[in-house]
Amino acid sequence: MTSAPHLSRRGFLTAAAGTASAVAAAPLLSACGTGAAITAGSTSANTLAKILPTYTPFAGGIKPDYPSIDGSEPGYLSYPTTLVHTVSETPGSGSTYNAIAPDWGAIPRTSGNTYYNALNAALGANMQWQPTNGTTIQTTLPTLFAGNQLPDWIEVPTFAQPPGFGQAVQTKLADLTPYLSGDKIKEYPNLAAIFSNGWQQAIWNNKIAGIPTVVSGFATGVFLYYRQDILDSLGIGTPSVNSLADLYDLGKEVNDPKAKRWAFDDIWQFMCFPYGTNFTPPQYIWTTDSKGNLITTFETEEIIEAMNWEASLFKAGMVNPEAVAGNTGTAKQRFWSGQNVITADGGGAWDAADVTSGTASNKGYVRNAFNFFTADGTGTPHVALSPPTEYVSYLNANLKPAQIKELLRIANYLAAPFGSYEFTLVNYGAKNVDYTVTSDGPVLTATGNKDVDAVVPILLASPNNVISNPGFPEVTRVSAQFVQRNAKYQFKPLFYGMNITVPNDLTTADQFAPFTGSGGINYIMYEVVRGRSTIADYQSTVNEWLRSGGTKLKAFMETVRAKYGDA
Amino acid sequence: MATRELVRTGKVLTSRGGSPGKSKLAVGWARLRRDKSLILMTVPAGILLLVFGYTPMLGLIMAFQDYDLYDGILHSPWAGFSNFQQLFTDPGFWHALTNTLMLFSIQLVLSFPIPIALAIMLDSILSRRVRSFIQSVVTIPHFFSMVMVISIFDQVLGGSGLLDTFLRSHGVANPPDLMTNQGLFKFLQAGEIIWKESGWNMIVYLAALAAISPSLYEAAAVDGASWRQRTWRITLPGLRPIMVLLLILNLGWALTFGFEQMLIQTPAVGTGAADVITTFAYRNGIVQGNYSYGAAAGLFLGVTSVILIVAANKVAHLLGEDGLYRSRQ
Amino acid sequence: MTAITQRAPIRRRDPRRPAWQERPKAATQGTKSGAIVVILLIILFPLYSIVLTSFSNQAAVNLAGGMVVWPQGLTISAYKLIAQGGVVGRALIVSLVITAVGTAISMAVTILASYGLSRAGSFGHKTILWFMMLTMFFSGGIIPLFLVVSALGGFNQYWALILPSAVSVFNIIVMRAFFMNIASDMIESARIDGAGDWRILWRIVLPTSKAVTAVIALFYAVTYWNSWFNILLFMPADSSKWPLQMVLYTYITQGNPLPGSGTSTIGGFVGNQQIAPLSIQMAVVTLTVVPILIVYPFVQKHFTKGVLLGAIKG
Repeated sequence: MTSAPHLSRRGFLTAAAGTASAVAAAPLLSACGTGAAITAGSTSANTLAKILPTYTPFAGGIKPDYPSIDGSEPGYLSYPTTLVHTVSETPGSGSTYNAIAPDWGAIPRTSGNTYYNALNAALGANMQWQPTNGTTIQTTLPTLFAGNQLPDWIEVPTFAQPPGFGQAVQTKLADLTPYLSGDKIKEYPNLAAIFSNGWQQAIWNNKIAGIPTVVSGFATGVFLYYRQDILDSLGIGTPSVNSLADLYDLGKEVNDPKAKRWAFDDIWQFMCFPYGTNFTPPQYIWTTDSKGNLITTFETEEIIEAMNWEASLFKAGMVNPEAVAGNTGTAKQRFWSGQNVITADGGGAWDAADVTSGTASNKGYVRNAFNFFTADGTGTPHVALSPPTEYVSYLNANLKPAQIKELLRIANYLAAPFGSYEFTLVNYGAKNVDYTVTSDGPVLTATGNKDVDAVVPILLASPNNVISNPGFPEVTRVSAQFVQRNAKYQFKPLFYGMNITVPNDLTTADQFAPFTGSGGINYIMYEVVRGRSTIADYQSTVNEWLRSGGTKLKAFMETVRAKYGDA
Repeated sequence: MATRELVRTGKVLTSRGGSPGKSKLAVGWARLRRDKSLILMTVPAGILLLVFGYTPMLGLIMAFQDYDLYDGILHSPWAGFSNFQQLFTDPGFWHALTNTLMLFSIQLVLSFPIPIALAIMLDSILSRRVRSFIQSVVTIPHFFSMVMVISIFDQVLGGSGLLDTFLRSHGVANPPDLMTNQGLFKFLQAGEIIWKESGWNMIVYLAALAAISPSLYEAAAVDGASWRQRTWRITLPGLRPIMVLLLILNLGWALTFGFEQMLIQTPAVGTGAADVITTFAYRNGIVQGNYSYGAAAGLFLGVTSVILIVAANKVAHLLGEDGLYRSRQ
Repeated sequence: MTAITQRAPIRRRDPRRPAWQERPKAATQGTKSGAIVVILLIILFPLYSIVLTSFSNQAAVNLAGGMVVWPQGLTISAYKLIAQGGVVGRALIVSLVITAVGTAISMAVTILASYGLSRAGSFGHKTILWFMMLTMFFSGGIIPLFLVVSALGGFNQYWALILPSAVSVFNIIVMRAFFMNIASDMIESARIDGAGDWRILWRIVLPTSKAVTAVIALFYAVTYWNSWFNILLFMPADSSKWPLQMVLYTYITQGNPLPGSGTSTIGGFVGNQQIAPLSIQMAVVTLTVVPILIVYPFVQKHFTKGVLLGAIKG
C-alpha cells in the first residue's frame, strides 16, 4: 500500500507542491527559528564512555535453549511456566500521559479496552496509548514536530527521522543524561540490561536523548531466504551455495516461469554482504580506500560488480516480473505462494506468523536461509551490522523532572525481560481475560485478539530481542541456530551506532541524491540492475553528487572521524 | 414550472438612465448597491478560502529564500530568483516538463470524448433500470484509489498477471510485460485514467443532457432530422458550454496532473517514461530536503497553470463560447 | 371461407420511446449492446475479483498467487475481523456525521458563491472569481496549512476535517456555469418586479437546478466520505475520533511484521495470522465502495432524463 497520500483530483489540485512538502518537511521543524546554539557533529568516544549507561545484564533469567553466540539473539523453545517478577513497586503515581508510536495493523478500541485497563492498572498511571499509522509516519511526524504538537512520549523510528532531526532533538526533546548516564541507570535495572550499542543509538550530541527499544545483538538486517520445501521437491535438497556463481546456477535450476515460479525476487538489499561491504544510506555507506581516505561505498568497485551481477539475474529472466516492476509490498505473498524461490528479507520474517501464512496452502512450507558467503567463494564472509535498533523513543522537553522520572520507571516496567511477569502482561494482557496459558505458552483469547495491541508499549520501551515462537518450536530451532552459526561473521561498519548531526547546508547531500538531476544514487542503482541505465549513468550520477555537496560531506565526515572516532 | 411569486418592494432598478455624463464612480456605486447581495453571497466562501487557502500560501515565500532548516522561514537568507535559475538550468526539469505535456496531451485526447459518448449512449437507453444499473457500474472505478487501479491493471496486464500467464501457458515464451514497458507507458497511463474516471466524468454531462429541452428534439424529428443530425445539431451544441468549461479547467491542471499515478509507477517504468513535474519537484525538492527548490517548482507550476487557463479561455471566446468567464464582466 | 392473408407481424412500438424518436436500426442496437457488454465486463471483472478475494482464505490466495479468480476457499473471516474490531462501529458514525454536516456546509457556501458569481456584469465579479480560482493553483503546502489550523486550535478537532476543505472552487465553477445558463429573461423580469437576489436564488434558480445541485452534493459527499488525508494531518493519533476511512486503512497493513525489528517475534501482536492480509485489504476496498453504491442509485435519478429540466424557455 502506498505511503503517498490519497489525492482526490478535484480536491487537492496543488497537491504536488502541497503533498510534497508534507513528507519530511523538516523546514518548519523550527519555523520561526530558535536562536539557540545547535551544534553539528557527534559524540566523542570519551564522552561516550562517560555517559553510556552501565550495562548490567539481568541475573537469574531463564536459560535459553539456544544461547547467544557472538551476539546472536538467544532462542527459547518454550515459554516459562513460572513467571519471575522484576519490578517490586508500582512505577506510576497516577498521572496522565499520552504516548504516540507507529503501528502496523488494526487499532484496538480505546474505551473499555481490557488490555489497556490491565496495563494501566499495573503501571499505576493513566497512559493514553495512541497508535498512529506506521505506513504514513513520514508525513505525520514532521507535522507533529513542526506544529509543536508533540506528546509526552513519542517513538521516532530511525527510518522516519525527518532530515535535520538532530537539531529537533536538541530543542524539543528531553535530555535524559542526568537520569541515566553511567551508574545512574541502575535505578532502572531493566533499562540497564539493554545492550550498550542500543544506548549508543539513543545518544545525540553528547547527550542521552532517548530510550532504545527492540534492541538486537545480532542486527544484520537482511537474510537471503529460500523455500526449502521447493528445493526438496525438485530433488535439490539442502543447497550448497558458497559463492554468487553457485547462487546463479541454483537460480537457473529452479527458474520456471511457465509454472509461475521465478527464482528470485529483487535481492538488492542483500547484495552488499557477499562483497563484505555495506550500502545502507544514509549512514552506513562509509569505508576507506587503499590510502585510508574516507570514501562512500558508492565509489567502490564492489558496488559496480554487485550491480552487474544482479543485472545478470534480471537479464536472464530469473526475476519475478512483479519485482521488476518494483512491487515490493507483495514480496512475502510471492514467497508464500512459491512464485519466488529465493528472496531477501529482514530477520523478522522468520517467525510463527510466517509459518502459518505459508502453510495455509502448502502444508510442506519451510523457510530457510543461506549461510553467508563471499562473492567469489574465497575467504571469510564479512557481514556488516545494521543499526542496533531502528526504534528509539523520546520524552518531551516540556516535562518536569518528576514526570521524567515517573515515565522512566514506567519504561523500566515495560522493558522487563522475556518471560517475566511484567513481560507477559505487556505482551499478552490480563490473564484469563486476554490470554490463557496453554502448553505452548500464552495464547490470546478472542477478547485478546481484539484488545491487545502491544506494539505501542513495546516501541516505547522493551527488553533486548529474543527468538521465541510459542507453538512453533521448529521455527525457533532453525532460526536460532542460523544466527548462532552466522554471528561470527559480523563486523561494525564505520560510524556504527553514532548519531551524527549534519550541518544545514549538507542535509541534502546527506540524503544521497544529487542536488539536481532526477532520482539520486539509490534510484539509479535500481535502474541499472534493470538494464534501463548503464554503469556510466551511475558513475555520472555519483560524480554529480560529489560535485553538489558530496565532497563537502566527505570532508565533514573526515572531521567527524578525526574528532569523534568511527565507532 | 417554477412558481412565480414576486413581491413589489417599490424599488425599481435601471441600469441605464440617469443624466448623461454621470461619473464613472457614480455608476460604479450604483452597480455596487445593486449587486451587494451577490457580493455578500460570496463572502462565506471567500472567508474560508482566505483563511485556509491564502494564509498557508505564504509558505511559498520559501521559493525566494535559501531555505535553512535552522533559521526557519523568518530568518532564512533571501535568494531572489536563484532557485528558479537552478530549476530552469536543470535538464531533468525540462525532461519532466516535456514529459508532463506529452503524457497529458495523450491522456486528454484519448479520454476526453469518452464520458461524452457514454453520456449520450446512456441517455438513449430506454429502460430506466438498465440505465441506472450501467450508470452505477461505470462509476465504481472512480471510488478506487489510484493505488488500487494500478494494482488491478497490474493483475491483468502485468508480467505475472492474467494475460501473460494465459499466453505463457499457450506457448508464448516471453510475453510482454505491459506494466514495465517504457514505450507503451504513455498509452497505459491514459488507459488507467479512462478506466478510472470516465464513468464519474460522465455524470456532469448527464446533468447537462438533462437540461436540453426535449421539445427541441421533437421539433427536429418532425422536420425530418435523423438521429445523427439530431445529435450533431442539438445534443453536442447543448453540451458545448460545459465541454469547453471542463476542457479549460483540465488545461489549467495540465501541469500538475498525475502525481500519485506517476509516483506509484516510476519504479515500474523508470523516470524516463513516468517523470512529471510534480514527481520531479517531490523528489528533488522534498525527499532530498531541498525545500526552496520544491517551493520554486510549485510556484512555477501555479503561474504557468494560470497562464494556460487565461489563454485557453481566450481561445474559447474566439470559438464563440463563454468559457470560464467573459472579459467584459 | 376467408383467406387468411399473411401479413408481416406488426412490430410493437416500445411505449417508453418518445413519439418523435424513430426505431434504431438493428446494427446500431447491436453495436450499442456490444459496447455496453464490453464496458460492463472490464469494470465488473476486477470488481468481482476484489470481492472474491475478500471472501477467500489464505490457501486460495496462495494458490492464485495474488488476486483470486476462481473461488476456491471461501470465508468471511476478513469481514469478521474488521467488524469485531470494535472501533469500526464508532468510526462509521463519525464518518456519517462528518459527511452529512460537511456536505450541508459546503453546499450552502457553494450555492451562495456560485449564484453570487453567476450574474454577468455584476460588480467585482471577475476579481472575486480570480480570487477564488487562484487557490486552485497555488498552495503553500501541507505544513503551512497545518500550522494555520493548529494555530486556530484545530488539532484533534472535528472541525479541522470539515472547514479547511469545505470550499471546492471547481464545484463552484461548475455550479456557476449551470446557473449562468438559466433563463436570464426570467431573472431579469423578476428583478424588474423588485425581487432581491436572495429571493431569486431561492424561488427561481434553485428549484430549476435540481440536477446540478444533486451532482455537486454528490461530489462533496463523496469527498467527505473518502477523505483520509485530512485525518492523517489533523488527528493522526487520536483514534477514538477517527472516521471510517482511517480505520479501514489501518487494516491494510494487518499481519505485516514490524519493519526492521530484527530477528525475533515479539509475542502476541501479529494479529490473527490465519486471515490472508490480501483478503483483508480487499475487504477494506469492498467496504469502501459498497456504501457509495447503495446510496448512489437514489442520487442518480436526480440528474437523469425525465426529471425537472433546467432553463425552460417559455
